[in-house]
Amino acid sequence: MKTKLSVAARREENWGWIMVAPTIIGLIVLNIWPFIQTLYTSFCEHLGFGHYKFIGIGNYVDVFQRPEFWKATWNTIYFCILTVPVGLFLSLLVAMLLNAKIKGKGFFRTIFFLPMVCAPAAVAMVWRWIFNGEYGILNQLLGIHINWVTDSKVVMIACAVVAIWSNIGYDAVLLLAGLQNISKSYYEAANIDGASKITQFFQITLPMVSPTLFVVMIMRLMSSVKVYDLLFMMVEETNPAVTSVQSLMYLFYRESFVAGSRGTGSAIVIWTVLLIGIITVVQFLGQKKWVNYDV
Amino acid sequence: MKSSASLEQSRRMTTILTYAALILGAIIMIFPFVWMILTSSKTVYESTRIPPTIFPEQFTMANFTDVLTNLPFVNLYINTGLTILFRVLCAVVFSSMAGYAFAKLQFRGKNLLFGIVLVQMSLPSQIFIIPQYQMVAHMGMANTIFALVFPGLVSAFGVFFLRQTYMGIPTEIGEAAYLDGCNQWETFYKVMFPLTGTSVAALTIFTAVFAYGDLMWPQVVNSDVTMMTLSAGLASLQGQFQANYPVMMAGALLAMLPMVILYMIFQRQFIEGIASTGGK
Amino acid sequence: MKKVPRIAAMVLAITLLLSLSGCGAADGKTHLKFQIWDVAQRESMEAICAAYTAKNPDVVIDVQVTSWNEYWTKLEAAAESNTMPDIFWMHTNQILYYSDFGKLADVTDLYDDVEPDYYQNHFSDISIGNASGSNGQMYGVPKDKDNIILVYNKEMFDAAGLSYPDENWTWDDLTSASQKIYDATGKYGYMAYNEDHLGYWDFVYQAGGYILNEDKTKAGYTDPATARAIEFYVNMQKEPWCPDQTYFAETQPGIAFFSEECAMYFEGNWELMNKATRYDNLEGKWDIAPLPKCPDPASGDGRATMSNGLCYSTAAHGKNREAALDVMKFFGTEEAQNIASSYGAAISAYIGTEQPYFDAFEKAGYDLNLQVIEDQFEYSVQLVNNAARPKWKSLVLAELNKAYNGQSDIGTVLENMQKIVDETTASNLANAAYYK
Repeated sequence: MKTKLSVAARREENWGWIMVAPTIIGLIVLNIWPFIQTLYTSFCEHLGFGHYKFIGIGNYVDVFQRPEFWKATWNTIYFCILTVPVGLFLSLLVAMLLNAKIKGKGFFRTIFFLPMVCAPAAVAMVWRWIFNGEYGILNQLLGIHINWVTDSKVVMIACAVVAIWSNIGYDAVLLLAGLQNISKSYYEAANIDGASKITQFFQITLPMVSPTLFVVMIMRLMSSVKVYDLLFMMVEETNPAVTSVQSLMYLFYRESFVAGSRGTGSAIVIWTVLLIGIITVVQFLGQKKWVNYDV
Repeated sequence: MKSSASLEQSRRMTTILTYAALILGAIIMIFPFVWMILTSSKTVYESTRIPPTIFPEQFTMANFTDVLTNLPFVNLYINTGLTILFRVLCAVVFSSMAGYAFAKLQFRGKNLLFGIVLVQMSLPSQIFIIPQYQMVAHMGMANTIFALVFPGLVSAFGVFFLRQTYMGIPTEIGEAAYLDGCNQWETFYKVMFPLTGTSVAALTIFTAVFAYGDLMWPQVVNSDVTMMTLSAGLASLQGQFQANYPVMMAGALLAMLPMVILYMIFQRQFIEGIASTGGK
Repeated sequence: MKKVPRIAAMVLAITLLLSLSGCGAADGKTHLKFQIWDVAQRESMEAICAAYTAKNPDVVIDVQVTSWNEYWTKLEAAAESNTMPDIFWMHTNQILYYSDFGKLADVTDLYDDVEPDYYQNHFSDISIGNASGSNGQMYGVPKDKDNIILVYNKEMFDAAGLSYPDENWTWDDLTSASQKIYDATGKYGYMAYNEDHLGYWDFVYQAGGYILNEDKTKAGYTDPATARAIEFYVNMQKEPWCPDQTYFAETQPGIAFFSEECAMYFEGNWELMNKATRYDNLEGKWDIAPLPKCPDPASGDGRATMSNGLCYSTAAHGKNREAALDVMKFFGTEEAQNIASSYGAAISAYIGTEQPYFDAFEKAGYDLNLQVIEDQFEYSVQLVNNAARPKWKSLVLAELNKAYNGQSDIGTVLENMQKIVDETTASNLANAAYYK
C-alpha cells in the first residue's frame, strides 16, 4: 500500500513539474535572468554599446546624492496619493450609483468602461490636446489660461486626472461585482432597525465590500508605483515641467535609454523594486485592520 | 399616509440625483472621444484658431488620407490581431497548465516556483526590454510577429489568476475523475479545464487589452513600420506630425476603432469577464 | 494520454507559424534595409534607391522611416546585438560615439578605384567633417548639407511698417522689429525658445564665442562672448513679444508661425519644402532671410549659422556589408545626389548638385528667397559635436531650463553647463580608453 501511494505521489509530482515547466522556464529566461542582470548592472558603469565596468556601489552613492532622484521618488509617491484614494473613492461612488435601481444601467456601464479598451497612446494624445494651453478646449470652455501640461504646479494633477479617467470604469466594474454579492437581507434588517443610509454605508456596505476594495487598491497601487507610459506620453522630455512629473520609472528610462547611463538606471530600478516590496508588506500587514474576511 | 408620500418623494429625489450624477459622469467619460472625432475632421489651421470652432467648418477627410499614406494601417491591424491571438493562446494554454498544477498538485519546490511567479508580477516590465530585445536579436527574429509575441509567451498574471480559479473548484471533482482512471493530465484537460470558462474568457480579454495597449516593446523590437502594432504606429505618428493634432486624432481614431467595435459587440462578456478578475 | 500529442502539436504549430511569418521573400535577391528618420525625405530616398536597383536588378532596397525619438534607442540596441539596418542615416550628434566603439564601417577608401581624393574633390570640409570619426577616418558617405535661416511673415512686417529683414540685419533689429510687430498686431515677434542647434548656438558663434574648444575636450560656456550671447538669447523671453518656455513645450515655433501667431523663427532649410506644401494657405505671405548678425562680436564679423550634414553609413560587421557598401558608393555619386536634391527636401552634399533643390521650389511654384541659403554657406559653422554629445545634450538643455523658469541665475546655469559638458566628455574619454 505504502509503495503504491508513493508511486502515485511521484507520478503526481512529475505531472506537476511538467505542467509548470513551460511557465517557469519562460519566466526565468524572460524575467528572472534579466532582473539578475539588472541587479549586476546596477554595480557597473555602462561604457557604451553593452560594455560594462564593475564599480561597486558607485551608482547608488551617485543616485542618492541627486536631488532629481529624490524628486522622482516623491513624484511617484505623490502620483499614488493623487490617483489611488481619489480614484478608489470615485470608482466606489460610480459602482454604488450603478448598483441603484435605475434604468439604463448597462448603457452607463458601457460608457464608463470604454477607456479601458482604448490604447493608452491614443488616450494620452487626446487629453494632451484637450489640455493644450493655447488651443485646448478645456481652457477655452472655462475661459482661463492654465498651462495644464507645462506648468510644474498643475502638471501632476492633469496626469492624475487622465489616470483616474482611464481606470475608473475598470475599478467600478470590479467594485460593482463586490457590491452585488452583498445579501439584500442585511439592508432589510437595517431598514427595520431604522438605520440611516449613511450608517448603512459604514456599517454594511464598506465592511462587506472591503475585500474587493483591497484587491482593487493593491492593483492600483502597484501600477501607480510603476507608472511610466502615461507620464511619458503626456509630458515629453523637452517639456520644462518634466522634473515635476517624472516618476522613478521615467527617470530610469531617461537614464538608461536617453543618457545611456544604464548603471544608474539599474540602481533606480532596484530602488523601485525595494519600494514596491515595502508597500506590499505594509499593505498586507495593514489589511488586518480594515479588511473584513469574516463574511 | 403622509409619511409614505414623503418617503416616495425622497426616493424620487434620490433617483433624480443618481441620474444627474451618472449623466454628468458619462459626459466626462465620453467627451474626449467626441472631441477626437470632431478634431479629426478639421484642418490644422482651423484646429489652432482662437476662439475655437466646435464643429468643423469644412468637413475634411484629408487627415485620414494623410495618416493612411504615412502608416500602413492594414499591416498594423493584422500585426496587432496576430499578436493578440498568439499571446492569448500562449497565456491560456501555459497558464491553465501551471495554474492547475499550483492549485491541485503536490510536488517538491512548489512554493519556490510559485514565488518566481509572484516576483515577476512585482517587477516593472520596462527593465526587461533591453535583455529581451537582445535575445530576440540574437535569434535573428527582430521585425517579426514572433518578436511582438515574445515577452507574452508566458503570463505570470495568468498563472496567478487561474490558480485562484482552480483553488475555487472542489478537489472532490478531480478525485472522482482520478478514481475513474484518468491520469493527472486527463483530469486537468477533460474535467477541470472545461470548468474554468469564465476565468479563461477574462484572461483572454485581459491579455488582449494589454497586448493592444503595450507600447514600448513593439517600438523597440520592430523598427520596421510594417511590423508594428497599432499603439506603436500611433506613437510614431506623434514624432512625425509633432503638434498636428487633427492628423493625430485621425490616427488615434483609426487605431481605436477595431477594439471599440469588438467591445461594443461583446461588451457583456468584456465587463463580466473583467468583474471576475477582482474576486478574492 | 492521446491529448498530449495534440496539444504538443498545437504548440509546435504556433511556434512554426510564428517563425515562418518573419521570413523574408525567397526570391533569390539581396534584400537591403535602409533606415531613415524623416518622413518628408522618404520619396527622395526611394528615388535614389530606384535609380540603383534599375542598374542592379538583383538588389531590393526597402526604405523605412522611424521617428527621430525612437531612432537612436533602436539603433543603439541594434548595434549591441549586431543587427543594424544595412544602410542608415548617421547624424553628427552620434557619429563619434558609434565610430569610437567600432560600430561603423570605415569608408575612407570606398572611392579609391574611381578617384583617389574623391571626398576632398567633391565635398566641402564641413561635409567631410560631419562624416568623420575622431581618428579622421570617414565613417559615412556625405548625404546633404544644411544651414539655419530666419523665416518671417511678410504681412506682419507690412502691418508694422517695417522693411523686410536682409543681410544687414543685427540682433538689435531683431528685437526692435519684434517689439514693433507686437505693438502693431498683438502677435509675437521672434520665437526665442530653449534650443541649441536652431537657437542659442547660432547666437554664440555670431558673438565670437564657442560651445566646444578646438580639440573638443572642454566646453566654452563660461567664455565671456558665449555667456553674453546666451544671456541675450535667454533674456529675449522676458520681453512681451516672446512667449515663455511653458508655451513652447506644447507649441512648436513652426506651428505657431504657420498659424500666424508669430512673425519670425529660425528654421533649418530642410524643413522648407515640407512647410510650404503643408501650409499652402500661407503661400506668398512668408519668406526667408539670413540670420541676423551680432552688432559687436568679440571676434569675427558677427555672421554665423550652424551647418550640419547627414551621411549614409553601414555597420562595421553587417551581414550584407559588401552589398550595402556598393549602394552607398552609388549614393555618393553626382547622379544620386542630383536626384536627391531634386525633391527639395535637402541640399545634396556633392558640390555642384545644389541646383535641383532650388529648381524644386520653382517647379512647385513656391517663391522664396532661396539664394540666402547658398550665400550663408560661405560663413557657416560646422555643427558642434563631440563623442559625449548624446550624453550631455539633454542634460545641458535641462540645465538651461532653470535659467528660463527662474530656478537659478544665468551665471550659475552657465557654470553648471560647463561642468556637465566637461565631466561627461572626460568620463567618456576615460571609458573609450578603458574599452580599448
